[in-house]
Amino acid sequence: MRRRGLLGGIVAAAFVAVGGAAWKFHLFGPHYRPTPYDDLLNQITDRAPASLFGQEALKTMPGINAADLARSLRGRGPLAALAESDPVQGRVREVAGWVVPEAVARYAALAAAV
Amino acid sequence: MPSRAALKSAVVNRYPLLSSLLDARALPQGTVLTPDLAIIGGGPAGISLALALAGGGQKVLLLESGGLGFEPPTQKLYQGSETGVSYVPLDSGRLRYLGGSTNHWGGWCRPLDEIDFESRDGVPHSGWPFARKEIEPYFARAQALVEAGPWVYDAADLAVSDSGPLIRLGDGGLYTSWFQFSKTKDGILPTHFGQRYRGDLTRAANITPLLNANVTAIMLSADAARVDHLDIATLSGNRLTVKPRFTVLAAGAIESARLMLASNDVMKTGVGNGSDLVGRFFADHPIPRNVATLVLFDGRCAPFYANFLTLANGAVMRAVLSPKAEFLRRKSVVGSLTTVENEVKPDPLATAAILTTAEALGVDAAHAKAFSLGCGMELLPDPDRRLTLSGERDGLGMPRLNLNMTIADDDFARFRATLAELGRQLLAAKSGMIHLSYNTRAEWLKAMDWGNHHMGTTRMQADPKKGVVDSDSKVHGVGNLYVAGSSVFPTYGSSNPTMNLVALTLRLGDHLKKVMA
Repeated sequence: MRRRGLLGGIVAAAFVAVGGAAWKFHLFGPHYRPTPYDDLLNQITDRAPASLFGQEALKTMPGINAADLARSLRGRGPLAALAESDPVQGRVREVAGWVVPEAVARYAALAAAV
Repeated sequence: MPSRAALKSAVVNRYPLLSSLLDARALPQGTVLTPDLAIIGGGPAGISLALALAGGGQKVLLLESGGLGFEPPTQKLYQGSETGVSYVPLDSGRLRYLGGSTNHWGGWCRPLDEIDFESRDGVPHSGWPFARKEIEPYFARAQALVEAGPWVYDAADLAVSDSGPLIRLGDGGLYTSWFQFSKTKDGILPTHFGQRYRGDLTRAANITPLLNANVTAIMLSADAARVDHLDIATLSGNRLTVKPRFTVLAAGAIESARLMLASNDVMKTGVGNGSDLVGRFFADHPIPRNVATLVLFDGRCAPFYANFLTLANGAVMRAVLSPKAEFLRRKSVVGSLTTVENEVKPDPLATAAILTTAEALGVDAAHAKAFSLGCGMELLPDPDRRLTLSGERDGLGMPRLNLNMTIADDDFARFRATLAELGRQLLAAKSGMIHLSYNTRAEWLKAMDWGNHHMGTTRMQADPKKGVVDSDSKVHGVGNLYVAGSSVFPTYGSSNPTMNLVALTLRLGDHLKKVMA
């Protein structure tokens, strides 16, 4: 009984360790090649939809490249805070007919531009 | 005027009747009738006015072009030509028999808002000669006549909590507002004025409804200061004359203008048309389809946005999204309503937009749903949106009309700005987002439909140079001629006209009681 309990504990600890590592190092999530903008893009869990939407967002920002976008976003706070405050302060952008917070349009455009 | 009893003994008992309603086809050729008041048109305005005067001492003759039901030869009198933007054929959007266009109306009711009466800097030609409080005392009676139940409207916010939440919007330009719907007790939805009030009209001793009586000319006195008489014709060839003390044109915004323009024997430009305004400023509510897609992140849209909701007190309600007065003033946009229609399936780009935005906002969009949005728009007043006489003539020899229909890019742009504001408010509340369907004029026009709410062609203004009728609805310069109906509305918001025109007509009824006494 005691040995069985010990084995169960070891198995449980192993699950926790593997799960924690997977969460910490995104072992089971999408993998993206490193970019100079990962400090920004890491705020987006799944870059695939962001990139698809971002292709449309880029069309609304003629002449803007990834470096320009990154410059406009760094130092302004996290995406979540900007996405919340932008519409309250009237900063929205229309992308292919979708009205979105300005920061969402810029982050998505960055995801598409890299 | 002969008494009603005398009239009946002279005419009614000798000629066939339509269920106690007089038929102009059965009156002797050349009959001359002399009522105190002739009402031209048996639609909601004409019937409401007659009912307002029922039981009084004044003899009222209600002249209706049609009979008790749809008859193609009579309906054909409405035919006309059109130029400009594609519009509903002139013989399609209205009905020419007792009850008028209430015989096919949708029953939507909502009082005009205070701002609809204001003259606004960013909206040329806007405003009425008085504020909403002038017709407010008549709303309750109008509500009863259209049978829209107890007066609830925007107080419904407090009465629907059990039916689901209002769409959460951040601070800003739009809010949830409410329409009510006409409903009769016998199950006919909505109220058809001809059917519903025929009995009341025939029971009133001082009211004589005369069917199949087409007014073909308003004949002025030589000095053009008064209506001398009306020429009446039937499609069967009968000709009558009516010599009233007072006349009220209540034939709708198209026919009232037509009759004034065509009656040009004394005033060469037409009755009341000294300032060349009769027929101008024609208006309607454009209702382009699928103007936007609404996404609600939690997928929950209360049923009263897309369907009727009957309250415990019997009022039938539906919620819409409307611009606030402050937003209308600040952004110089005009009235509109936005309706939730059907659930739609997002395409891959829509899904990408929803996932990206929801994640950034920190909300769960796993159960998000998308809905198509409909609308009703007010048009900016346009003097070139205009009815004029054409060279064609109808079966009675009257000139037909041409409608030059216009809708400006600015009309679309201003409504689009309203939809964009709705989108911003959804994001600010983290409740959802919006996709705007149309960007180009061609896209808007391809989706276009119309409310068939004809308005504006005999607009009300205190200054004769700016309007056709004064604040009493009297035609400028003609002492005994009035106009009832939505043709006098200079601006009109997004509220459907019927309940409002009935209220305004009841106000006219009070005025006429004084001047005819």
